[in-house]
Amino acid sequence: MILWISLALFMTFLMMIVLFRDLLYSAIALALASVTLSVVLFLFKANIAAVFELSVCAGLITVLFVSTISLTKNSDQKTESRVPAAFLPFVLVLLLALDLGLTVWLAREMLPAGQSGSAATFKEVFWTIRATDIWGQVSLVLVGVFGILAIFRVAPGRKNHE
Amino acid sequence: MSEEIKMLFFCGLLAFMLGLYLLISHRNLIRIILGVEILSKGITLILLAAGQARGAIPFIQSLVVTFIIVETVLAAVMLGLIVLVYRTHGSLDIKLLSKLKG
Repeated sequence: MILWISLALFMTFLMMIVLFRDLLYSAIALALASVTLSVVLFLFKANIAAVFELSVCAGLITVLFVSTISLTKNSDQKTESRVPAAFLPFVLVLLLALDLGLTVWLAREMLPAGQSGSAATFKEVFWTIRATDIWGQVSLVLVGVFGILAIFRVAPGRKNHE
Repeated sequence: MSEEIKMLFFCGLLAFMLGLYLLISHRNLIRIILGVEILSKGITLILLAAGQARGAIPFIQSLVVTFIIVETVLAAVMLGLIVLVYRTHGSLDIKLLSKLKG
């Protein structure tokens, strides 16, 4: 029962992100969607992924979005949509039909084989089997840090455009 | 496949499509990044459904953790670039970025 409620809330928050015109409300709806997604992850016993989702996606990414929105609050947001609002219900019906078709196809064709997973724990998988991933993640975090440093670096003797 | 897994697939695919819709239908850069975030939420749900169907939740958990880190770094760099674009052009409309054409 909690799963169905969480999934319904998750989809509602996602729709709110799409429908809200105010970017700040959309960012808050994204944080709430992350919270409900972490509840779903907890329900399927993916505890560590759920903690990551809750702390990083609902916390850090929301802070980044709110900071960016406040730094760019004077930007124009009126003529942003390429699709007229009247077409949105048709687009949603089309997406739902496509989604239903894909889910039925996946259920019939893709996963009939049943259980094939190993009995390894998360610790074994993360630190032993997929140990190379950790190096990739570390280098990715460093790329992010140096990327941000390069973006906001001001050359000596040169003023910012602002 | 149980009803729960089917529902996870359904919601994941719908989230993926909503993200794609936001990505292609809006011109505001922050909305485009919001679209990427919705898309990544959908992928997380699809990964979870696949892991549950195959009985490989620990394996999928490690993939989801890796995916969250990739998503965070992407969001941080993209949002930094957006601030820079705003400081340079004074707008977040991607139409104005056509000036970047060679």
